[in-house]
Amino acid sequence: MSNTSKPLRFEKITLTNWKNFASCEIAVGKRAFLVGPNASGKSNFLDVFRFLRDLAVSGGGFQEAIDRRGGVSAIRCLAARRYPDVDIRVVVIDADGSSKWSYGLAFNQDKQRRARIKKERIERDGLLLLERPDSDDKQDPERLTQTHLEQVNVNRPFRELASFFESIRYLHIVPQLVREPDRSVGRTNDPFGGDFLEQIAKTQERTRLARLKRIRDALRVAVPLLAEIELIRDNRGTPHLRGKYEHWRPQGAWQTEEQFSDGTLRLMGLLWVAMEGGGPLLLEEPELSLHPEIVRYLPQMFARVQRRTGRQIILSTHSPDLLRDEGIGLDEVLLLQPSAEGTKVRPAGAFTEIPRLLAGGSTLADAVIPRTRPEHADQLSQFGDL
Amino acid sequence: MADGITISVAVEGLVDEAVARRLIVFAGATPGPVYGKQGKPFLRERIAGYNNAAQHSCWMVLVDLDRDHDCAPPLRAAWLPQFAPRLCFRVAVRAVEAWLLADPERIAKFLAVAPGKVPSAPETLDDPKSAMVALARATRRREVREDMVPRDGSGRSVGPAYASRLIEFATSCWRPEVAAQRAESLRRAIDCLQCLAKTP
Repeated sequence: MSNTSKPLRFEKITLTNWKNFASCEIAVGKRAFLVGPNASGKSNFLDVFRFLRDLAVSGGGFQEAIDRRGGVSAIRCLAARRYPDVDIRVVVIDADGSSKWSYGLAFNQDKQRRARIKKERIERDGLLLLERPDSDDKQDPERLTQTHLEQVNVNRPFRELASFFESIRYLHIVPQLVREPDRSVGRTNDPFGGDFLEQIAKTQERTRLARLKRIRDALRVAVPLLAEIELIRDNRGTPHLRGKYEHWRPQGAWQTEEQFSDGTLRLMGLLWVAMEGGGPLLLEEPELSLHPEIVRYLPQMFARVQRRTGRQIILSTHSPDLLRDEGIGLDEVLLLQPSAEGTKVRPAGAFTEIPRLLAGGSTLADAVIPRTRPEHADQLSQFGDL
Repeated sequence: MADGITISVAVEGLVDEAVARRLIVFAGATPGPVYGKQGKPFLRERIAGYNNAAQHSCWMVLVDLDRDHDCAPPLRAAWLPQFAPRLCFRVAVRAVEAWLLADPERIAKFLAVAPGKVPSAPETLDDPKSAMVALARATRRREVREDMVPRDGSGRSVGPAYASRLIEFATSCWRPEVAAQRAESLRRAIDCLQCLAKTP
């Protein structure tokens, strides 16, 4: 992770024909809360950032990023019409707004269904650094199978941007994978937590001890009997987390991650990445398995953490408890609303009723959740008789 | 006396919860389950239930006066004609932030502002919450401002970690006995809780 002094973050994103999004342009702040019905595209919105990461990461690249998603036709929006290319444009700024990048990539597939770049464009502070296709591309169209972003020998003028994309982190811890790391052998930075314990183990000892202590203090709120947490390695060298629970026995009892509850593991994962710092953090429904009382404090926790680290946090949620927080800005909540023309994304502040409802005593959850309700949710109650 | 009488609580929000807990411990009782925390209308709809429950156990219901009435008695009367003896129904004038501002020395230190900037008669404030935000705006510390003051364009009245900061203050710095000298509604709340804590 290269960006340490002045963390960069996404400021704006414009999508054309990306999965559910036929056409959308949206500003994102330091925090973004994506809300919407099931299948409205929350994960697909997060996937744009993962796609950019896949372009830049070593062992990744354009073809790999496309293949992982099942090819161009699996990416292109079903509502795509006249303009057939998939087009992604992002604006990236640093913390004090003194530096501004823009990156644009348009692609499609050829007759053999191979992914082809149609345009790639990079600007820094208004200065054009790259515009493709260039004359070389015209002479040798095979070049259009790779972005310049992914190529170390040409990306030097914009390596900072490439490193920023590489620093994006997606986390959706699946407790079963943390408990049984064998299922995701060899994956590093596994978003589902398969190498979560290995990552903790790799952290410098002093940092690790300090973080585990802070996690213990924070976790005691949720799990009052948890007295200590430590990392140990078994005789095969596999790392394990273990926690000591206060108990009727004077010594207490040690449990390893295999016995931790889903909620404890997920909260540990959240707290660990919150302390990491680094590039944008993408979280998928951080409320899962957690007690509503814990969920209510997550937005405040994220706010204080990111004030220190500068880390951008973009998350999806269905949780009224999370949205009840009175410190969430109306520009931080992005509502995804499906339509025949693809999903529309609008900030909560763009709905004139929402500020009025809040002024009348509604919480943000009261004002927003009804707008994210699936259209025919009530029919689910008749499922047994259909 | 940590394990004396247990008092169940119903409050409007997270900061109110922290204040109620602190006061119950200060009065020598133990805080029980905390209900509500979904705004004032939520409590108002359920007040009869809390009152029923208080036939059998001790309860504290804490609400902000806001601008609903000129003073607390009409609000009490509007909510319920008669309260159970073990229900301590307290009204913060005009919001619980006034109680926190009533310990000027500590809040000034916590927010890193000059003590002279803290309003001297917090119960006369029309909107104590915006007074608290205004005070935080004057802080010498950037992190206090970023946590407590809303960003331009956020459309909210408080910053992203406003509640978290005030919970920290109410729990670890605030002195109820000092604050009670400047906030009559707080003094009454403490008297009521101390009385409840001695309930046989």
